[in-house]
Amino acid sequence: MFDIIVVFESFVEILKVVPKTLLLALIILVLSFTLGATITYIQSLNIPVVRQVIGVLQSFLRGTPNVVLLYLVYYSLPLVLAWFLGLFNVTFDPTSLNSTAIVIVTFSICYSVFQSEIIRGALHSLDKDQIEAAQSLGYSTTQVLRKVIIPQVMMEALPDTMNAFLIIIKALSLAFLVTVVDIFAQARLVGAQSFSYLEAFVAAALVYWGICVLLTYVIDKLENRMRRGYA
Amino acid sequence: MDVQYMLEILPQFLSVIPITILIVVLAAVFGFLLSIPIAAARIRRIPVLSQLLGAYISFTRSTPILLQLFLFFFGLPVLLQLIGFDIRNIGPITAATVCLIFFNGAYMSEVLRPAYLAIDKGQHEAAESLGYTPVQKMKRIIIPQMGPIALPGLGNAIIHLIHDSSLVFAIGVVDIMGMATIMSGDTFGMKQVEVFLTVALIYWGISMISEQIIRRLERRKKRVLRRTGYEMKKKEAGYSV
Repeated sequence: MFDIIVVFESFVEILKVVPKTLLLALIILVLSFTLGATITYIQSLNIPVVRQVIGVLQSFLRGTPNVVLLYLVYYSLPLVLAWFLGLFNVTFDPTSLNSTAIVIVTFSICYSVFQSEIIRGALHSLDKDQIEAAQSLGYSTTQVLRKVIIPQVMMEALPDTMNAFLIIIKALSLAFLVTVVDIFAQARLVGAQSFSYLEAFVAAALVYWGICVLLTYVIDKLENRMRRGYA
Repeated sequence: MDVQYMLEILPQFLSVIPITILIVVLAAVFGFLLSIPIAAARIRRIPVLSQLLGAYISFTRSTPILLQLFLFFFGLPVLLQLIGFDIRNIGPITAATVCLIFFNGAYMSEVLRPAYLAIDKGQHEAAESLGYTPVQKMKRIIIPQMGPIALPGLGNAIIHLIHDSSLVFAIGVVDIMGMATIMSGDTFGMKQVEVFLTVALIYWGISMISEQIIRRLERRKKRVLRRTGYEMKKKEAGYSV
């Protein structure tokens, strides 16, 4: 009933999509980080109505599961885009939107909220005296940002950001719902071909586990290295 | 956008909410009960068991919950057959609940363990020197102090559980999401945006309500502690997301 050789065969098949999954996760991580930084910046400006609107959006994104958001974006984004481009008299076929793009957009938005929390937390940990000291030394604003704030904030945000990377890799397993092939979707395909779902899923679990253990190890090393640089 | 339609389908969604609640409550309660012995074994560092549990926790943390659901759905019957039960077909609800119990047990044990370790050794020693039995010590000294440290983490676990329970439709449970996929088929793909917007709003509501309940619990706990002169230790209970 359970065949270890099939597990191995599925494992090899699944390994083929690992680079694609990692790349997808990396794109999402970078986009969500950028978006998160933007959100943090806008929130710090404290513009009355904008702040409340973003607050409600954040609560919404945090309160709804990723699947629901994925479906919501999957069905509404093409329509919204078509309507929006229609305003500029650009014809756009709603069915032409790539589902990979939809996955990227959805998860970037989803995780931007968490990223903005991480960045805010890192900013809080930064001592105000540091900025004052840099200013008193005659640093310009960009210099303060580049030489004092960013290195320390990056340092502080790195572990959580890498954690977010792992979470995104796992969350991408939902992408099979909109026909994007990642590790989990590949496992389903492989399982369907050989009628041995269990073996394929065990193989996929091993792949995920391997990735996580490996990345955690790398992150730990990296963090230790960086901390040593500052001590 | 058809708000009329959204209001029309709302009762249908409300009728399946009990299934979601059933799964979440079962997973929360039994997961919590499971997490206590796991955390205890890991704290005591019981030789082989501790390592096995460490691997189990690492496994649940590094694989997607969707994959775990499928593993349980297809794997549980095989496992049961190995130990003599011949159940070819366990229902998807059973598989989903068992899977979430195991997932949540691992998660919550990683909340409880740091909370226990965060308590000062002196507290243990003081209790012992006063002649408390181990049970008394836990009940009167350790657990009341673990409360404020562990509660935010446990609250997070519940919120995650609610979100993760939205995936059980993938193995065929007709919960809120399952209903939504049925409905979006029923309308021949015309009203999908409305259907999923309704689902999103329902989940938002559920999350907000549970967050309020958890926060109220935390506040009450804090008040009790302040009355007894205990200052809350602001120690993050490990494990983020």
